[in-house]
Amino acid sequence: MATAIQENGINSLSNGNLSHKVDEQNSSSPSEQSESIVKSEETTADNSETPEIDIVINNVVCSFSVRCHLNLRQIALHGSNVEYRRENGMITMKLRKPYTTASMWSSGKITCTGATSEPQAKVAARRYARCLQKLGFKTKFNNFRVVNVLGTCSMPFAIKITAFSERFKEHAEYEPELHPGVTYKLYNPKATLKIFSTGSITVTAPSVADVQAAIEHIFPLVYEFRKERTKEDILALQLKQRGVKRKRSFTHIDIEEQDYEEHFGDTSDEENYGSDESWD
Amino acid sequence: MSNSSRFETNKICCYAHPDAPLIEDYRAGDQICSECGLVVGDRVIDVGSEWRTFSNEKAGNDPSRVGGPENPLLNGSDLSTMIGPGRGDASFDSFGVSKYQNRRTMSSSDRALINAFREINSMADRINLPKTIVDRANNLFKQVHDGKNLKGRANDAIASACLYIACRQEGVPRTFKEICAVSKISKKEIGRCFKLILKALETSVDLITTGDFMSRFCSNLGLPNMVQRAATHIARKAVELDIVPGRSPISVAAAAIYMASQASEDKRSQKEIGDIAGVADVTIRQSYKLMYPHAVKLFPEDFKFATPIDQLPQM
Repeated sequence: MATAIQENGINSLSNGNLSHKVDEQNSSSPSEQSESIVKSEETTADNSETPEIDIVINNVVCSFSVRCHLNLRQIALHGSNVEYRRENGMITMKLRKPYTTASMWSSGKITCTGATSEPQAKVAARRYARCLQKLGFKTKFNNFRVVNVLGTCSMPFAIKITAFSERFKEHAEYEPELHPGVTYKLYNPKATLKIFSTGSITVTAPSVADVQAAIEHIFPLVYEFRKERTKEDILALQLKQRGVKRKRSFTHIDIEEQDYEEHFGDTSDEENYGSDESWD
Repeated sequence: MSNSSRFETNKICCYAHPDAPLIEDYRAGDQICSECGLVVGDRVIDVGSEWRTFSNEKAGNDPSRVGGPENPLLNGSDLSTMIGPGRGDASFDSFGVSKYQNRRTMSSSDRALINAFREINSMADRINLPKTIVDRANNLFKQVHDGKNLKGRANDAIASACLYIACRQEGVPRTFKEICAVSKISKKEIGRCFKLILKALETSVDLITTGDFMSRFCSNLGLPNMVQRAATHIARKAVELDIVPGRSPISVAAAAIYMASQASEDKRSQKEIGDIAGVADVTIRQSYKLMYPHAVKLFPEDFKFATPIDQLPQM
């Protein structure tokens, strides 16, 4: 029970997240955005109803060097949006446009976190180097590499993690007292997956392709231990999604709305209580 | 007494029952065949340690005894001699300071080991763990110490984690919070060391189940056996029917105890159960809310309800 997966490029969801549309149809529609990683990977699908899984990349961590000694004190005094912590010996600089944070050391090595895709990370890295150049340092752009990518995805079914962890004792580790999810370590695309009982999976891997490969690898294993979501679980999931969106516009949590939803189910139009945000 | 040079058998065995194990009788110094009672070896010298210790004030200073048993598995077995504390006038020099003060460098390589064993012993003593668990924990610590890949970690953290693993391996797991209560290391650090030790020793442990904790929690709360059995049944059924996905077995056990106690005559509040089990009472409330709708299916058939199911608290 494998899924046939092909990337279609990046479609931006209205909540500001970028997601790779992981699609099993072989449609090769050209993507409008310039930042797209078009790769097609197909694994044979046995049954006709192969599902579609959205993989959302949340964080890309990259590291590069500017090959010159940085005077941290000078950057702290003259740079904007910087923070200097002397006990750690590093500068933290934040950028607004790809919303990222960079840690800079005086040796010239810089770690940039918070980007949501690999090309974005490169743009952000170049912006940081440019910013340092404007402050007067002779910077070069050297040795850019993506160190870590964090992606999340949600299976359309719940997962029986106790049985899963017993079956894959060599790779999986489940300690309910320490963490509510199973930590599954893969070695051939080197990746660490955290699998939760709700069906959400977070993957950390050295590159975006590895994230995708890891999800492809884990899907048949997890499919074996699926559990149909009950109505309460679906309601709880919807509430959580709406709650995240609502937090931006309301400052308090409306209890009456939750009860309303529990009793009357999915009534998304009626609950648009004067919020400017558009639901998808 | 047959002396055979075959590899599989002992050197001494009963001629009629070569496979029978021999029982040693220390008082008479004999080796006796367990099948027929024939005395096979005689005048066997007892190489065990002195097992009689006199409890007077000068315990440990009695020079006519050979001293405590060696710890051969766990120490360097260096057979070193310690200079005892001086008595009499000759061992003090003119200032009243004792000469021959060299007691410090007895076994520097194993100093950490001895400290850790003492720590494990005191921790286990506080929660009344039997000697088998302490021995297993000591063994684990020795293995970890020899492996040297956790060298940077605090020895106390490794000792606590070894104690935790030993309890798990013996089939009587203690929660991390219980180990935290007798150790000065934080739960996070013990958890980290736990994972590192499992990786270093390449072992794995079984998953904890709700039933492992029932007897301890229930007797700490003073609940009768009927309630304990009912709670065990409830928790097991809840996990089987998977109505509490993703919840820690401790929380499920605590909620089951709450449900069983509320249905019987000895009611316990969520706060009391939370104190004993080390879970927050909101956690018990969450798990209880998930279990309450299925209460009819969870209780055992022969349970006598002091409070019927429909009057159980809905919180």
